[in-house]
Amino acid sequence: MKFNLTLILLFSILAHSVFAQITVTGIVTSSEDDEPVIGATIEIKDAENGEGTITEFDGSFSLEVPKSDAVLIFSYLGLKTLEVNVAGRAELDVVMFPESSLLAEVVVVGYGTQKRSNISGAVSVIKSDEITETPILRTEQALQGKASGVLVSQNSGSPGSSLTVRVRGIGSINGSDPLYIVDGIPVSNLDYLNPNDIETMSILKDAASTAIYGSRGSNGVVLITTKNGEKEQEGRITYEGYFGIQSPWKKKHLLNAREYAIIQKEAYIAAGQTPPLEFANPDVFGEGTDWQDAIFETAPIMSHQLGISGGGSKTTYSVSGSYFLQDGIVGGDKARFERYTGRINGQHDVKNWLTIGTNIGLSHFKRNAIPENNEFSTPLIRALNMDPITPVRKFDGTYAYSLYADTDIANPVNQIEQTHDIWKSNTLLGSLFTDIKFMENLSLKTIYSTETTIATQDLFFPRFDLSYDPILSDAPAQEKRLENSVIFNTYRWTTWQIENILTYQKTFKEKHALTAVLANTLIKRAHHVHGGANSNLPSNDPDAAFINNTIDPIESMSTFEYATERALFSYLGRINYDLDDKYLFAAVLRYDGSSRFGPNNRFGYYPSISTGWIISRENFWSIDAVSFLKLRMSWGINGNDGAGDDYPYTAIVLPGQNYVFGPDENITSGSVATVAGNPDIKWEAIIQPDVGLDIELWDGKLNLTTDFYVKRTSGMLYEAPIPHTAGTAPPVQNVATVRNRGWELSASYREKESDFKYSIGGNIAIVKNEVTSVGQGGEPVFSGYIQSGNSFATITDVGIPIASFYGYVTDGLFQNQGEVEEHAFQSENTAPGDIRFKDLNNDGVINGEDRTVIGNPIPNFTYGANIDMEYKGFDLSIFLQGVQGNDLYNGTVRYDFGYVNRPISVLDRWTGEGTSFSEPRVNLSDPNQNARISDRFIEDGSYLRFKNVQLGYNLPKKWIERVRLQKMRVYLSSQNLFTFTKYSGLDPEIGTVGGALEIGLDRGFYPQSRTFLGGIQISF
Amino acid sequence: MMKNIYIILCCCLITSWGCGDKFLDRDPLVGVTDANYYNTAEDAVAAVNAAYAALQFERNPAGHFRWFWGDIMSDDSDKGGSGDNDVFELFLLETFQTPINGVLLDSEWKASYEGIYRANVVLEKVPPIEMDETLKNRILSEARFIRSYFYYNMVTIFGGVPLVDHILAPSEYNIPRNSADEIWDFIEEDLTTAIPNLPLKNEYAFSDMGRITKGAAQSLLVKVYMWRQNWTQAKLMAEEVVASGQYFLAPDFGSIYSMEGENGPGSIFEIQFMTESGGTWDNPNEGTLSNIFQRPRGQFDGFGFNLPTQDLINAFFAEDPNNEDPRLRYTVFREGDVLGDRGVFTKEATGFPHEYYPRKFFNSKSEEASFGDPAPNGGSNDRVIRYADLLLMHAEASYQTGDESAAKNSLNMVRARARGNSSLLPDVTASGQALLDAIYHERRVELALEGHRFFDLVRTGRASAVLGPLGYVDGKHNLFPVPESQILATNGAITQNPGY
Repeated sequence: MKFNLTLILLFSILAHSVFAQITVTGIVTSSEDDEPVIGATIEIKDAENGEGTITEFDGSFSLEVPKSDAVLIFSYLGLKTLEVNVAGRAELDVVMFPESSLLAEVVVVGYGTQKRSNISGAVSVIKSDEITETPILRTEQALQGKASGVLVSQNSGSPGSSLTVRVRGIGSINGSDPLYIVDGIPVSNLDYLNPNDIETMSILKDAASTAIYGSRGSNGVVLITTKNGEKEQEGRITYEGYFGIQSPWKKKHLLNAREYAIIQKEAYIAAGQTPPLEFANPDVFGEGTDWQDAIFETAPIMSHQLGISGGGSKTTYSVSGSYFLQDGIVGGDKARFERYTGRINGQHDVKNWLTIGTNIGLSHFKRNAIPENNEFSTPLIRALNMDPITPVRKFDGTYAYSLYADTDIANPVNQIEQTHDIWKSNTLLGSLFTDIKFMENLSLKTIYSTETTIATQDLFFPRFDLSYDPILSDAPAQEKRLENSVIFNTYRWTTWQIENILTYQKTFKEKHALTAVLANTLIKRAHHVHGGANSNLPSNDPDAAFINNTIDPIESMSTFEYATERALFSYLGRINYDLDDKYLFAAVLRYDGSSRFGPNNRFGYYPSISTGWIISRENFWSIDAVSFLKLRMSWGINGNDGAGDDYPYTAIVLPGQNYVFGPDENITSGSVATVAGNPDIKWEAIIQPDVGLDIELWDGKLNLTTDFYVKRTSGMLYEAPIPHTAGTAPPVQNVATVRNRGWELSASYREKESDFKYSIGGNIAIVKNEVTSVGQGGEPVFSGYIQSGNSFATITDVGIPIASFYGYVTDGLFQNQGEVEEHAFQSENTAPGDIRFKDLNNDGVINGEDRTVIGNPIPNFTYGANIDMEYKGFDLSIFLQGVQGNDLYNGTVRYDFGYVNRPISVLDRWTGEGTSFSEPRVNLSDPNQNARISDRFIEDGSYLRFKNVQLGYNLPKKWIERVRLQKMRVYLSSQNLFTFTKYSGLDPEIGTVGGALEIGLDRGFYPQSRTFLGGIQISF
Repeated sequence: MMKNIYIILCCCLITSWGCGDKFLDRDPLVGVTDANYYNTAEDAVAAVNAAYAALQFERNPAGHFRWFWGDIMSDDSDKGGSGDNDVFELFLLETFQTPINGVLLDSEWKASYEGIYRANVVLEKVPPIEMDETLKNRILSEARFIRSYFYYNMVTIFGGVPLVDHILAPSEYNIPRNSADEIWDFIEEDLTTAIPNLPLKNEYAFSDMGRITKGAAQSLLVKVYMWRQNWTQAKLMAEEVVASGQYFLAPDFGSIYSMEGENGPGSIFEIQFMTESGGTWDNPNEGTLSNIFQRPRGQFDGFGFNLPTQDLINAFFAEDPNNEDPRLRYTVFREGDVLGDRGVFTKEATGFPHEYYPRKFFNSKSEEASFGDPAPNGGSNDRVIRYADLLLMHAEASYQTGDESAAKNSLNMVRARARGNSSLLPDVTASGQALLDAIYHERRVELALEGHRFFDLVRTGRASAVLGPLGYVDGKHNLFPVPESQILATNGAITQNPGY
């Protein structure tokens, strides 16, 4: 149909060309594939009647031009507009080049779109081909190493676990997650989203860009637009699928059974205890059990997705579905993550002034969880600490228990088998919109949207008993569970939002481009959870585990319920004014109110301004190599209404503070407010100035973007410690300030030499974090309890980075008794071979006062790089990502238990004067507290990772056209193929586990896997 | 058409401006704001119950059991556990290498003030409620007792502490310490005010068993007088308790520590615990962790803390080296003893070389609901004040006021129950210092491992002599250090104890 239309147009144009003097004919081809360009527009420059034509199917055209030196303008979407002087030629073949400039891209910004060249804030963009290039499980992974200034780290390597995303450093003590907006809808997380459904992601980084999101933009905003069809697009069907195998890439070097026996014997003797008799001859034990081998396994990963999209003259649509499955390298299918998603996006022009549309995403996932990332009861910490003497199984095939371990350390293989923890989650994310055009320049878009998630958690704790003799019940407590129990919880999160956006857009006198946006938003979020528990079920079958299925349901059944809600109400306005496409100006004001604050300080104003100057468009610009140069400057204020409880402004009297009265031990209800309210709390404020440069060299071959910024968070909402005399948990108060200063650079270079095309891209970001005040009494905040060190490992205090590591400083080992006596008093039984800790305050005693900052969990810089090559249908891409200069705390050895297995470094322990200067003697009771939190456990966390290496091949068109395929690509890919790190633990990529103030603490971190997979992409 | 929509739109934008505040007014869906609570008698009862709940705090975030301070710090027991580094701070404390920034004392301080806050909530919010005045007065008096009890703990552990007698506003957080005398005066006043309005033990309904009685408040006041060496008042107040006729010594000493013996005839004040309340490690709800902490490790599923010392065992042989005090077997487990349904105590079964384990907090497997937890909480009540304790205080106060016959009478009542039908533990006939020593000895063996010993030694001035060899320094270790966190949190408004 479109073709007919163009023919009519063509004829009408030709009909007007009566005064034509020359007829120019030729063929237009694209430089990319040497294929003809169909439907390219050709206009005659300065023609009075706008004469021109459109190329035919074979790329040919024929056009009569008024004079022999006429200039023709060739244009086509995606290709660079070209001006050619006819210069008397009758035949004119033209090669059009791709729109090499990224700058012409239209970028999604908050509440609208902008041409990249005209953006005056700091925005990174990631497009769908970059997202799908690497087979990723979660959307956040697509941000890793791709956008400068965005630090992404894995909170766990277990399937389905979330990631930590930090845009420009850690802005706040209480949660620094960015705001995620999917198709205009703010969402609480990206669990449900299929990365393949994403068209583009924009990461708004500076305050000027995020101020339009006012109170919620302080930690950056990630805007996600999902795929839709295009108008007049023929229906397209795509299928993508891959299958792969994951396996662990590293093991810790621990003692084998023989070495363990040697060390333990020595440790018993050193502690003045009699070693177990069997240790007398360590050789009998041999290698023993490798518990890491026992829990690690290779696990499958697979994905299938099908997408259909297209459009007519008034309608566009896109439908997609996907299935994803991943098992864990620890736990196998007990750690399985399975996700189904479906999406329908559609849009229709009802009238020339009315467009309606909808985006609906549905997802279902099931996640089997095994305990992870704590030092008490996870299969990993158990595998790393269990003695190698104990076999996995007894002779009769049942699981064995250790004769040496107690309390926390138990058979990890049995534990995995006894784990039944299943999350099932259903999410509906839907929106409906109407877009009304009142006149040429004024439109109103109204969006109603909802996000509803209903999730259930099924937990079953079966009976088991690893005893040799069930009657004697000889197994220790951690190796048996004599009564089974079940827990069933249901969670419901609902959010709805209504948003009205009024947009006015006009260009005056071809010079003054003005866009104005005025909008209001109402959001309400509610959370409801209820659940029940029961114990002593007659059946030990997980499938028969229901809370009412028990011997005595009334006595043992328990239930709970909790609900909370919050609301946000906002007005916002923005003006963009571009003069001559050279001088750019934008101003934003947002007015936000949050139900989290009491009536005293409910509303906040968030202004920002930004300016840009495209210097290369000035007449005086004469450096040809620099085809584009833009200077940007911005300043703005964001707010943050904080995480956590929804009613921090008031104290809430809650039941549950019960007591027992009467001979029948009746639980009697008691109620009190255990947390103080603070009616005066208000918005956290983040002020952020930013200066940036966008440079394009050699017609777009090289692109550079760089930014400097300072981000200062003040009045941070935090439950700062208060004196215990208050008798309550601290109220949320506006305390503490944090400053992040940073520099970001991203660059990309593209080149093509005949059949060989390549591009190299990279980014690097430096961020310096410093706490500038902790408010109130100035008491530092301690966090990150490490059981083996019996203390907190992080401190947040003025003048140092957030959550710095804190502990004792080691100073070698005591080599003889003289050195022990010479040194400050450490412990009564300190002996040669023990660690000497520095007496920092010189008071002659080593105690808590001698602790100091011993490490920084925040990297000096983070970086990413990708190399893409194409040659005759083959493509190779390599994506690297790394961090440099951060510290990790290795808390994986439970030194608080004398019986645990140890790293092989203990073989080089001190056994006499001069035998070692770093590895202390072994002693079952560790009287010197060598395991106390100290720099002994601080390690360099820098790493460089080959995140993805992929080799693909596009089957030649002539082959696949026979089966009516448009495209068929096969590839082999590997994730985490190589990791370069000095870290001795299982994985250096450790995010925030356990709270905002616990960064880089390894308590037996679930490591990421190395994956090899093969995939196929088909479209027809 | 366009115009109409435009007008409607403008109206929407303008009118919705005003609805912002209404849209943002969100009251809690669960719970009631404290401004809207406290209207009925039920609310008043719930408020005082919450204050009772504070008595059960044990492990938030760290342990602060009464037996930590009273027993492990004394010559009666050692820390135990899996080794010195198991709760290392407790090891430092018991060896008098006292750290000032530990979490255990911090927890004690915190839990006490949480209890005081909850009592203050009752005393501030309940008076305006329209309700039965008798019940109201009882509730207020219960709250006064609970407040006194926490201050009593604080003043005996830390000395003078900040006196908080109302709900603090954020501007008042940084209050400094009061003197110990001011705290003692405050406790005396609270208890004196509370006593007339508290029911006798038998005046409570059965279902209220465990609530604070007149006798409990009077007995706590006796303790206060004892510390202040106000012997006359102590003696008189103790005699009032005796005269109330509410209490007698259970004939069988061993029965006191059984589940059936809870709230028995000699029980004056017990912190109530029950098992099977679905608690967790961090929040045992209505259960106690004393049971699991004090059971032997290994087969007995405990943590093996609070190990009786040889010195304590010897005390049970002090009167007759050939015959042990009959109370010993109810106080400690020795090798060969049967630990309820958990098996026979052998060193192999515990995995540790220790000879003795504490018995008074022992519970059998059948007495606890596991709730799927390998380390379930226990249900043993904490016997804080027993009638025997009151009688021995009466004996001591009588002695100090010169009434030796009253002293001997009370002392021998306790001994008579202990000996039962045996010929052991004859009536004490001594006088003078020997009588006082006999009273002291009786306190040690009768109340062993019930959290009294360390404080008795400090109160009677014997700590230096007894604990000196263990590292105790008089003038320093008679008080524990104020947690450093509290000095920092108040910008130094709270000061440290001497010697630390």
